Amino acid sequence: MASARRVAVTGLGLVNPFGGDLPDFFGRMLRGESAIRLFTREDDVTRPLAVPAVRCANFDADAELGQSLSYTMDRYSQLGTTAALSAWRDAGLPRTKDAPRNDWGVSWGTALGGTLTFEKGYIEMLRNGRERVPPLSVVLGMSNAAASHISIQLGLGASSATYSVACASSAVAIGEVLQKIRSGEATLMVVGGSEAPLSYGVVRAWEAMRILALGDEASAARACRPFSSDRQGLVLGEGAGAMILEDWDHAVRRGARIYAEFAGCGSTSDHDHLVRPNVDGQMRAMRMAIHDGGLAPDEIDYINAHGTATREGDPIEIAAIRGVFGSRSAAVAVSATKSMHGHMLGATGVIEAIITVLSLASQEAPPTAYLDDVDRECTGVRHITGGPLRTSLRAALSNSFAFGGSNTVLAFRAAH
Amino acid sequence: MKPDNLTVLSEFLHKRENIDPARVTPEALLEELKVDSLMLLELLFEFEDRLGVKIPQDIPRPKTVGDLLGIVDKVTAGHGV
Repeated sequence: MASARRVAVTGLGLVNPFGGDLPDFFGRMLRGESAIRLFTREDDVTRPLAVPAVRCANFDADAELGQSLSYTMDRYSQLGTTAALSAWRDAGLPRTKDAPRNDWGVSWGTALGGTLTFEKGYIEMLRNGRERVPPLSVVLGMSNAAASHISIQLGLGASSATYSVACASSAVAIGEVLQKIRSGEATLMVVGGSEAPLSYGVVRAWEAMRILALGDEASAARACRPFSSDRQGLVLGEGAGAMILEDWDHAVRRGARIYAEFAGCGSTSDHDHLVRPNVDGQMRAMRMAIHDGGLAPDEIDYINAHGTATREGDPIEIAAIRGVFGSRSAAVAVSATKSMHGHMLGATGVIEAIITVLSLASQEAPPTAYLDDVDRECTGVRHITGGPLRTSLRAALSNSFAFGGSNTVLAFRAAH
Repeated sequence: MKPDNLTVLSEFLHKRENIDPARVTPEALLEELKVDSLMLLELLFEFEDRLGVKIPQDIPRPKTVGDLLGIVDKVTAGHGV
Protein backbone atom coordinates (compact mmCIF):
# COMPACT_ATOMS: atom_id res chain seq x y z
CA MET A 1 0.00 0.00 0.00
CA ALA A 2 3.03 2.29 -0.31
CA SER A 3 1.48 4.29 -3.12
CA ALA A 4 -1.95 4.63 -1.46
CA ARG A 5 -3.16 8.02 -0.42
CA ARG A 6 -3.13 8.88 3.27
CA VAL A 7 -6.31 9.99 5.01
CA ALA A 8 -6.45 13.15 7.10
CA VAL A 9 -9.03 14.05 9.75
CA THR A 10 -9.70 17.73 9.05
CA GLY A 11 -13.03 18.47 10.70
CA LEU A 12 -14.91 17.40 13.82
CA GLY A 13 -18.46 18.16 14.92
CA LEU A 14 -20.96 16.83 17.40
CA VAL A 15 -24.19 17.36 19.23
CA ASN A 16 -23.48 16.51 22.83
CA PRO A 17 -25.47 16.44 26.07
CA PHE A 18 -23.50 19.28 27.69
CA GLY A 19 -24.81 21.63 25.00
CA GLY A 20 -21.48 23.39 24.43
CA ASP A 21 -18.96 23.28 21.59
CA LEU A 22 -16.24 20.73 20.81
CA PRO A 23 -13.51 22.15 23.11
CA ASP A 24 -16.05 22.41 25.92
CA PHE A 25 -17.07 18.76 25.42
CA PHE A 26 -13.48 17.49 25.30
CA GLY A 27 -12.52 19.57 28.34
CA ARG A 28 -15.31 17.94 30.31
CA MET A 29 -14.19 14.49 29.14
CA LEU A 30 -10.64 15.23 30.32
CA ARG A 31 -11.97 16.28 33.72
CA GLY A 32 -14.04 13.11 34.04
CA GLU A 33 -17.35 14.93 34.03
CA SER A 34 -20.46 12.80 33.52
CA ALA A 35 -23.43 13.93 31.41
CA ILE A 36 -25.63 11.14 32.74
CA ARG A 37 -28.83 12.25 34.45
CA LEU A 38 -32.04 10.62 35.56
CA PHE A 39 -34.32 10.45 32.51
CA THR A 40 -38.01 10.42 33.20
CA ARG A 41 -40.87 10.16 30.77
CA GLU A 42 -44.48 10.26 31.81
CA ASP A 43 -46.10 12.07 28.89
CA ASP A 44 -47.66 9.43 26.71
CA VAL A 45 -46.48 6.12 28.03
CA THR A 46 -48.19 3.32 29.88
CA ARG A 47 -45.83 3.24 32.83
CA PRO A 48 -43.48 6.16 33.58
CA LEU A 49 -39.80 5.71 32.75
CA ALA A 50 -37.09 6.65 35.23
CA VAL A 51 -33.61 5.48 34.23
CA PRO A 52 -30.18 7.07 34.08
CA ALA A 53 -29.64 8.22 30.49
CA VAL A 54 -27.96 10.88 28.41
CA ARG A 55 -30.09 13.47 26.63
CA CYS A 56 -29.18 16.45 24.50
CA ALA A 57 -31.78 18.48 26.37
CA ASN A 58 -30.70 21.89 25.06
CA PHE A 59 -30.66 20.85 21.42
CA ASP A 60 -32.95 23.16 19.43
CA ALA A 61 -33.43 21.65 15.97
CA ASP A 62 -35.43 24.62 14.63
CA ALA A 63 -32.70 27.05 15.65
CA GLU A 64 -29.93 24.85 14.21
CA LEU A 65 -31.55 23.85 10.93
CA GLY A 66 -34.51 26.14 10.33
CA GLN A 67 -38.05 25.01 10.94
CA SER A 68 -38.90 23.96 7.41
CA LEU A 69 -35.92 21.56 7.30
CA SER A 70 -36.15 20.25 10.87
CA TYR A 71 -39.85 19.48 10.35
CA THR A 72 -38.97 16.92 7.69
CA MET A 73 -36.60 15.03 10.01
CA ASP A 74 -36.76 12.52 12.83
CA ARG A 75 -34.67 13.58 15.82
CA TYR A 76 -31.85 11.24 14.78
CA SER A 77 -31.55 13.11 11.47
CA GLN A 78 -31.77 16.48 13.20
CA LEU A 79 -28.91 15.53 15.52
CA GLY A 80 -26.89 14.00 12.66
CA THR A 81 -27.28 16.81 10.17
CA THR A 82 -26.41 19.38 12.82
CA ALA A 83 -23.23 17.46 13.72
CA ALA A 84 -22.28 17.13 10.04
CA LEU A 85 -22.76 20.85 9.37
CA SER A 86 -20.68 21.60 12.44
CA ALA A 87 -17.82 19.34 11.23
CA TRP A 88 -18.06 20.97 7.80
CA ARG A 89 -17.60 24.44 9.32
CA ASP A 90 -14.81 23.14 11.53
CA ALA A 91 -12.97 21.90 8.43
CA GLY A 92 -13.19 25.38 6.91
CA LEU A 93 -15.28 24.19 3.97
CA PRO A 94 -17.62 26.64 2.22
CA ARG A 95 -21.37 26.05 1.79
CA THR A 96 -21.47 26.56 -1.96
CA LYS A 97 -23.32 24.31 -4.31
CA ASP A 98 -21.47 25.57 -7.40
CA ALA A 99 -18.36 23.45 -7.25
CA PRO A 100 -18.85 19.89 -8.55
CA ARG A 101 -18.39 17.50 -5.63
CA ASN A 102 -19.02 14.20 -7.30
CA ASP A 103 -16.08 12.59 -5.55
CA TRP A 104 -17.20 13.79 -2.11
CA GLY A 105 -19.70 11.66 -0.20
CA VAL A 106 -21.23 10.66 3.09
CA SER A 107 -20.94 7.49 5.15
CA TRP A 108 -23.25 7.33 8.14
CA GLY A 109 -24.14 5.01 10.99
CA THR A 110 -27.28 4.47 13.02
CA ALA A 111 -28.49 1.46 14.94
CA LEU A 112 -32.18 2.33 15.13
CA GLY A 113 -32.80 5.16 12.67
CA GLY A 114 -36.16 6.87 13.10
CA THR A 115 -37.43 4.79 15.99
CA LEU A 116 -39.16 7.80 17.59
CA THR A 117 -41.16 8.37 14.40
CA PHE A 118 -42.32 4.77 14.29
CA GLU A 119 -43.26 4.84 17.96
CA LYS A 120 -45.30 7.98 17.39
CA GLY A 121 -47.18 6.15 14.64
CA TYR A 122 -47.90 3.17 16.86
CA ILE A 123 -49.14 5.45 19.66
CA GLU A 124 -51.47 7.23 17.22
CA MET A 125 -52.95 3.96 15.97
CA LEU A 126 -52.89 1.64 18.95
CA ARG A 127 -53.47 4.04 21.81
CA ASN A 128 -55.21 7.02 20.26
CA GLY A 129 -57.35 4.87 18.03
CA ARG A 130 -56.51 6.70 14.83
CA GLU A 131 -56.48 4.90 11.52
CA ARG A 132 -53.37 6.52 10.13
CA VAL A 133 -49.96 7.92 10.90
CA PRO A 134 -48.45 11.30 10.02
CA PRO A 135 -47.85 11.54 6.26
CA LEU A 136 -44.08 12.00 6.38
CA SER A 137 -43.51 8.91 8.55
CA VAL A 138 -41.70 7.00 5.81
CA VAL A 139 -39.20 9.72 4.96
CA LEU A 140 -38.69 10.64 8.60
CA GLY A 141 -38.21 7.10 9.79
CA MET A 142 -36.07 5.56 7.06
CA SER A 143 -32.60 4.59 8.19
CA ASN A 144 -30.78 6.47 5.42
CA ALA A 145 -32.62 9.75 6.06
CA ALA A 146 -29.77 11.39 7.98
CA ALA A 147 -27.20 10.55 5.30
CA SER A 148 -29.56 11.79 2.59
CA HIS A 149 -30.15 15.11 4.32
CA ILE A 150 -26.40 15.58 4.80
CA SER A 151 -25.71 14.82 1.17
CA ILE A 152 -28.43 17.26 0.02
CA GLN A 153 -27.39 20.05 2.38
CA LEU A 154 -23.71 19.82 1.46
CA GLY A 155 -24.06 18.91 -2.21
CA LEU A 156 -22.14 15.61 -2.00
CA GLY A 157 -22.37 13.63 -5.23
CA ALA A 158 -20.36 10.50 -4.41
CA SER A 159 -21.89 7.60 -2.50
CA SER A 160 -24.33 8.19 0.35
CA ALA A 161 -24.43 5.02 2.43
CA THR A 162 -25.76 4.12 5.86
CA TYR A 163 -24.44 1.28 8.00
CA SER A 164 -26.55 -0.31 10.71
CA VAL A 165 -24.28 -2.51 12.81
CA ALA A 166 -25.75 -2.01 16.28
CA CYS A 167 -23.19 -0.43 18.61
CA ALA A 168 -20.47 -0.41 15.94
CA SER A 169 -22.55 1.39 13.29
CA SER A 170 -20.63 4.64 13.04
CA ALA A 171 -17.25 2.93 13.52
CA VAL A 172 -18.09 0.79 10.49
CA ALA A 173 -19.26 3.90 8.60
CA ILE A 174 -15.87 5.49 9.27
CA GLY A 175 -13.89 2.36 8.48
CA GLU A 176 -15.64 1.75 5.19
CA VAL A 177 -14.37 4.98 3.62
CA LEU A 178 -10.70 4.27 4.20
CA GLN A 179 -10.28 2.31 0.97
CA LYS A 180 -12.40 4.78 -0.97
CA ILE A 181 -10.03 7.63 -0.14
CA ARG A 182 -6.86 5.54 -0.36
CA SER A 183 -7.78 4.37 -3.83
CA GLY A 184 -8.72 7.84 -5.06
CA GLU A 185 -12.37 6.90 -5.57
CA ALA A 186 -13.32 9.64 -3.11
CA THR A 187 -11.44 12.81 -2.18
CA LEU A 188 -13.43 13.81 0.88
CA MET A 189 -16.07 12.02 2.95
CA VAL A 190 -18.38 13.22 5.71
CA VAL A 191 -18.54 10.32 8.16
CA GLY A 192 -20.22 9.71 11.48
CA GLY A 193 -23.44 8.63 13.04
CA SER A 194 -26.46 9.67 15.03
CA GLU A 195 -28.92 8.08 17.40
CA ALA A 196 -32.08 9.14 19.20
CA PRO A 197 -32.98 5.95 21.05
CA LEU A 198 -34.92 7.25 24.03
CA SER A 199 -38.30 5.96 22.91
CA TYR A 200 -40.47 4.15 25.39
CA GLY A 201 -40.21 0.82 23.60
CA VAL A 202 -36.44 0.96 23.12
CA VAL A 203 -35.72 1.83 26.74
CA ARG A 204 -38.04 -0.95 27.91
CA ALA A 205 -36.33 -3.39 25.52
CA TRP A 206 -32.90 -2.62 26.97
CA GLU A 207 -34.32 -2.91 30.48
CA ALA A 208 -35.56 -6.37 29.58
CA MET A 209 -31.98 -7.37 28.68
CA ARG A 210 -31.13 -6.64 32.35
CA ILE A 211 -28.01 -4.70 31.42
CA LEU A 212 -29.19 -1.11 31.99
CA ALA A 213 -27.54 0.63 34.92
CA LEU A 214 -29.97 1.68 37.64
CA GLY A 215 -29.94 4.93 39.56
CA ASP A 216 -31.92 7.80 40.98
CA GLU A 217 -31.58 11.56 40.79
CA ALA A 218 -28.64 11.59 43.19
CA SER A 219 -26.71 8.61 41.83
CA ALA A 220 -27.44 8.84 38.10
CA ALA A 221 -24.23 10.72 37.20
CA ARG A 222 -22.08 7.81 38.37
CA ALA A 223 -24.36 5.04 37.10
CA CYS A 224 -22.00 3.80 34.36
CA ARG A 225 -18.70 2.51 35.78
CA PRO A 226 -16.72 0.49 33.21
CA PHE A 227 -14.00 -1.82 34.57
CA SER A 228 -15.08 -1.08 38.15
CA SER A 229 -15.63 -3.95 40.56
CA ASP A 230 -19.13 -2.61 41.26
CA ARG A 231 -20.14 -1.90 37.65
CA GLN A 232 -23.79 -2.55 36.93
CA GLY A 233 -24.40 -2.03 33.24
CA LEU A 234 -24.73 0.56 30.54
CA VAL A 235 -26.56 3.84 30.12
CA LEU A 236 -28.38 4.72 26.89
CA GLY A 237 -27.74 8.09 25.31
CA GLU A 238 -28.68 10.22 22.34
CA GLY A 239 -26.26 12.26 20.31
CA ALA A 240 -24.38 12.62 17.06
CA GLY A 241 -20.86 13.06 15.81
CA ALA A 242 -19.24 13.71 12.44
CA MET A 243 -15.75 13.86 11.02
CA ILE A 244 -14.39 15.16 7.74
CA LEU A 245 -11.99 12.60 6.25
CA GLU A 246 -9.92 13.81 3.37
CA ASP A 247 -7.15 12.82 0.99
CA TRP A 248 -4.05 14.03 2.85
CA ASP A 249 -2.57 15.91 -0.10
CA HIS A 250 -5.91 17.59 -0.82
CA ALA A 251 -6.04 18.74 2.79
CA VAL A 252 -2.49 20.09 2.63
CA ARG A 253 -3.14 21.88 -0.67
CA ARG A 254 -6.14 23.75 0.72
CA GLY A 255 -4.29 24.59 3.94
CA ALA A 256 -6.63 22.61 6.19
CA ARG A 257 -5.86 21.93 9.83
CA ILE A 258 -5.09 18.24 10.24
CA TYR A 259 -6.12 16.82 13.62
CA ALA A 260 -4.69 13.35 13.03
CA GLU A 261 -4.20 10.68 10.42
CA PHE A 262 -6.85 8.00 10.04
CA ALA A 263 -4.31 5.24 9.60
CA GLY A 264 -6.08 1.90 9.65
CA CYS A 265 -9.17 -0.14 10.30
CA GLY A 266 -9.89 -3.71 11.30
CA SER A 267 -13.28 -5.39 11.10
CA THR A 268 -14.02 -8.94 12.19
CA SER A 269 -16.93 -11.10 13.25
CA ASP A 270 -16.96 -13.29 16.33
CA HIS A 271 -19.17 -15.81 14.48
CA ASP A 272 -19.93 -17.16 17.90
CA HIS A 273 -22.80 -15.69 19.91
CA LEU A 274 -25.34 -12.87 19.54
CA VAL A 275 -24.41 -11.00 22.70
CA ARG A 276 -21.43 -12.66 24.39
CA PRO A 277 -18.24 -11.00 23.10
CA ASN A 278 -15.26 -13.05 22.08
CA VAL A 279 -11.59 -12.44 22.90
CA ASP A 280 -10.32 -13.85 19.62
CA GLY A 281 -12.67 -11.75 17.47
CA GLN A 282 -11.64 -8.58 19.30
CA MET A 283 -7.92 -9.41 19.15
CA ARG A 284 -8.11 -10.04 15.42
CA ALA A 285 -9.83 -6.67 14.88
CA MET A 286 -7.20 -4.77 16.89
CA ARG A 287 -4.32 -6.55 15.13
CA MET A 288 -5.87 -5.93 11.74
CA ALA A 289 -6.30 -2.19 12.46
CA ILE A 290 -2.68 -1.89 13.64
CA HIS A 291 -1.33 -3.78 10.65
CA ASP A 292 -3.59 -1.95 8.17
CA GLY A 293 -2.30 1.34 9.56
CA GLY A 294 1.32 0.38 9.03
CA LEU A 295 1.78 0.64 12.77
CA ALA A 296 3.64 -1.51 15.26
CA PRO A 297 1.80 -2.55 18.43
CA ASP A 298 4.49 -0.69 20.36
CA GLU A 299 3.31 2.60 18.86
CA ILE A 300 -0.20 2.37 20.34
CA ASP A 301 -0.16 4.60 23.40
CA TYR A 302 -3.90 4.94 24.04
CA ILE A 303 -7.03 2.86 23.54
CA ASN A 304 -10.51 4.29 23.81
CA ALA A 305 -12.21 1.09 24.92
CA HIS A 306 -15.67 -0.09 23.97
CA GLY A 307 -16.11 -0.48 27.75
CA THR A 308 -19.87 -0.52 28.30
CA ALA A 309 -19.71 -1.50 32.00
CA THR A 310 -21.47 -4.83 31.60
CA ARG A 311 -20.36 -7.66 33.89
CA GLU A 312 -19.51 -9.93 30.98
CA GLY A 313 -18.13 -7.55 28.34
CA ASP A 314 -15.47 -5.52 30.17
CA PRO A 315 -13.16 -8.40 31.24
CA ILE A 316 -13.27 -9.85 27.72
CA GLU A 317 -12.10 -6.58 26.17
CA ILE A 318 -9.26 -6.25 28.68
CA ALA A 319 -8.25 -9.86 28.00
CA ALA A 320 -8.19 -9.06 24.27
CA ILE A 321 -6.00 -5.99 24.87
CA ARG A 322 -3.64 -8.07 27.00
CA GLY A 323 -3.56 -10.68 24.25
CA VAL A 324 -2.57 -8.15 21.59
CA PHE A 325 -0.03 -6.15 23.59
CA GLY A 326 1.45 -8.92 25.73
CA SER A 327 4.11 -7.80 28.16
CA ARG A 328 3.62 -4.17 27.14
CA SER A 329 -0.08 -4.13 28.17
CA ALA A 330 0.62 -2.50 31.51
CA ALA A 331 1.97 0.53 29.62
CA VAL A 332 -1.00 0.91 27.27
CA ALA A 333 -3.32 3.64 28.52
CA VAL A 334 -7.01 2.67 28.39
CA SER A 335 -10.19 4.55 29.17
CA ALA A 336 -13.91 4.02 28.61
CA THR A 337 -15.56 7.38 28.06
CA LYS A 338 -19.04 5.85 28.05
CA SER A 339 -18.76 6.47 31.80
CA MET A 340 -19.46 10.11 30.88
CA HIS A 341 -21.31 10.29 27.55
CA GLY A 342 -23.18 7.01 27.87
CA HIS A 343 -23.81 4.49 25.13
CA MET A 344 -25.09 6.34 22.08
CA LEU A 345 -25.51 3.07 20.12
CA GLY A 346 -25.02 3.95 16.46
CA ALA A 347 -23.40 7.29 17.33
CA THR A 348 -21.07 6.02 20.00
CA GLY A 349 -18.29 4.86 17.64
CA VAL A 350 -17.83 8.30 16.12
CA ILE A 351 -18.10 10.13 19.46
CA GLU A 352 -15.31 7.92 20.78
CA ALA A 353 -13.30 8.30 17.56
CA ILE A 354 -13.56 12.09 17.97
CA ILE A 355 -12.31 11.80 21.56
CA THR A 356 -9.44 9.57 20.34
CA VAL A 357 -8.49 12.06 17.61
CA LEU A 358 -8.61 14.99 20.05
CA SER A 359 -6.45 13.01 22.49
CA LEU A 360 -3.76 12.61 19.81
CA ALA A 361 -4.07 16.25 18.77
CA SER A 362 -3.78 17.57 22.34
CA GLN A 363 -1.52 14.80 23.71
CA GLU A 364 -3.83 14.22 26.65
CA ALA A 365 -6.34 11.43 27.09
CA PRO A 366 -9.50 11.37 29.24
CA PRO A 367 -10.06 9.06 32.18
CA THR A 368 -12.70 6.43 32.86
CA ALA A 369 -14.93 8.32 35.28
CA TYR A 370 -15.78 6.81 38.66
CA LEU A 371 -13.23 4.04 38.35
CA ASP A 372 -12.17 3.92 42.00
CA ASP A 373 -11.71 0.18 42.32
CA VAL A 374 -10.59 -1.71 39.22
CA ASP A 375 -12.17 -5.15 39.01
CA ARG A 376 -9.59 -7.90 39.43
CA GLU A 377 -10.76 -9.35 36.12
CA CYS A 378 -10.03 -6.04 34.37
CA THR A 379 -6.44 -5.44 35.46
CA GLY A 380 -3.24 -5.61 33.42
CA VAL A 381 -3.56 -2.36 31.44
CA ARG A 382 -2.85 1.25 32.38
CA HIS A 383 -6.33 2.45 33.37
CA ILE A 384 -6.61 6.24 33.27
CA THR A 385 -8.49 7.33 36.39
CA GLY A 386 -9.20 10.53 38.26
CA GLY A 387 -8.13 13.01 35.57
CA PRO A 388 -6.45 13.33 32.20
CA LEU A 389 -3.28 11.49 31.24
CA ARG A 390 -0.74 13.89 29.75
CA THR A 391 1.97 12.00 27.94
CA SER A 392 3.39 11.38 24.50
CA LEU A 393 0.65 9.80 22.39
CA ARG A 394 1.91 8.56 19.00
CA ALA A 395 -1.02 6.45 17.89
CA ALA A 396 -4.31 5.28 19.34
CA LEU A 397 -7.13 2.82 18.80
CA SER A 398 -10.87 3.29 19.17
CA ASN A 399 -12.67 -0.01 19.83
CA SER A 400 -16.29 -0.73 18.88
CA PHE A 401 -17.74 -4.16 19.56
CA ALA A 402 -21.38 -4.68 18.63
CA PHE A 403 -24.11 -7.06 19.66
CA GLY A 404 -24.18 -9.66 16.94
CA GLY A 405 -20.42 -10.11 17.18
CA SER A 406 -19.33 -7.37 14.75
CA ASN A 407 -16.04 -5.79 15.80
CA THR A 408 -14.51 -2.66 14.29
CA VAL A 409 -11.31 -1.02 15.48
CA LEU A 410 -10.11 2.34 14.12
CA ALA A 411 -6.42 3.30 14.29
CA PHE A 412 -5.32 6.93 14.30
CA ARG A 413 -1.79 8.37 14.20
CA ALA A 414 -0.76 11.74 15.61
CA ALA A 415 -0.39 14.29 12.81
CA HIS A 416 2.89 15.86 13.91
CA MET B 1 -66.57 30.45 13.39
CA LYS B 2 -64.60 27.82 11.52
CA PRO B 3 -61.85 29.23 9.29
CA ASP B 4 -62.45 28.72 5.58
CA ASN B 5 -60.18 26.42 3.63
CA LEU B 6 -58.13 29.23 2.10
CA THR B 7 -57.36 30.51 5.59
CA VAL B 8 -56.39 27.02 6.75
CA LEU B 9 -53.98 26.80 3.83
CA SER B 10 -52.46 30.23 4.28
CA GLU B 11 -52.02 29.71 8.02
CA PHE B 12 -50.30 26.37 7.40
CA LEU B 13 -47.89 27.91 4.87
CA HIS B 14 -47.22 30.89 7.08
CA LYS B 15 -46.42 28.69 10.06
CA ARG B 16 -44.29 26.22 8.15
CA GLU B 17 -42.53 28.34 5.54
CA ASN B 18 -43.20 31.89 6.72
CA ILE B 19 -45.10 32.65 3.53
CA ASP B 20 -47.01 35.94 3.41
CA PRO B 21 -50.75 35.07 3.51
CA ALA B 22 -51.35 37.75 0.86
CA ARG B 23 -49.53 35.53 -1.65
CA VAL B 24 -51.90 32.62 -1.05
CA THR B 25 -54.53 33.42 -3.69
CA PRO B 26 -56.55 30.95 -5.79
CA GLU B 27 -54.38 31.68 -8.85
CA ALA B 28 -51.06 31.19 -7.03
CA LEU B 29 -48.96 28.22 -8.14
CA LEU B 30 -48.41 25.73 -5.32
CA GLU B 31 -44.83 25.22 -6.48
CA GLU B 32 -44.10 28.89 -5.91
CA LEU B 33 -45.46 28.61 -2.38
CA LYS B 34 -42.87 25.86 -1.69
CA VAL B 35 -45.52 23.11 -1.81
CA ASP B 36 -43.63 20.10 -3.17
CA SER B 37 -44.93 16.51 -3.30
CA LEU B 38 -44.13 15.90 0.38
CA MET B 39 -45.79 19.07 1.61
CA LEU B 40 -48.85 18.32 -0.52
CA LEU B 41 -49.21 15.07 1.46
CA GLU B 42 -49.13 17.04 4.67
CA LEU B 43 -51.69 19.52 3.40
CA LEU B 44 -54.10 16.79 2.35
CA PHE B 45 -53.65 15.20 5.77
CA GLU B 46 -54.33 18.54 7.44
CA PHE B 47 -57.56 19.06 5.50
CA GLU B 48 -58.71 15.49 6.16
CA ASP B 49 -58.08 16.00 9.86
CA ARG B 50 -59.78 19.36 10.13
CA LEU B 51 -62.80 18.56 7.98
CA GLY B 52 -63.24 14.93 9.00
CA VAL B 53 -63.22 13.70 5.41
CA LYS B 54 -61.23 11.22 3.39
CA ILE B 55 -59.63 12.51 0.21
CA PRO B 56 -59.29 9.67 -2.32
CA GLN B 57 -55.86 8.49 -3.40
CA ASP B 58 -56.44 9.02 -7.13
CA ILE B 59 -56.99 12.78 -7.15
CA PRO B 60 -55.39 14.78 -9.99
CA ARG B 61 -52.20 16.57 -8.89
CA PRO B 62 -53.27 20.18 -8.19
CA LYS B 63 -51.18 22.96 -9.75
CA THR B 64 -52.70 26.03 -8.12
CA VAL B 65 -54.16 26.93 -4.77
CA GLY B 66 -57.57 27.00 -6.49
CA ASP B 67 -57.08 23.43 -7.80
CA LEU B 68 -56.32 22.19 -4.30
CA LEU B 69 -59.21 23.98 -2.66
CA GLY B 70 -61.50 22.72 -5.41
CA ILE B 71 -60.57 19.15 -4.57
CA VAL B 72 -61.21 19.75 -0.88
CA ASP B 73 -64.55 21.46 -1.58
CA LYS B 74 -65.78 18.63 -3.77
CA VAL B 75 -64.87 15.97 -1.20
CA THR B 76 -66.49 18.01 1.57
CA ALA B 77 -69.66 18.41 -0.47
CA GLY B 78 -69.74 14.68 -1.03
CA HIS B 79 -69.46 14.94 -4.81
CA GLY B 80 -66.27 12.91 -5.11
CA VAL B 81 -63.47 14.22 -7.23
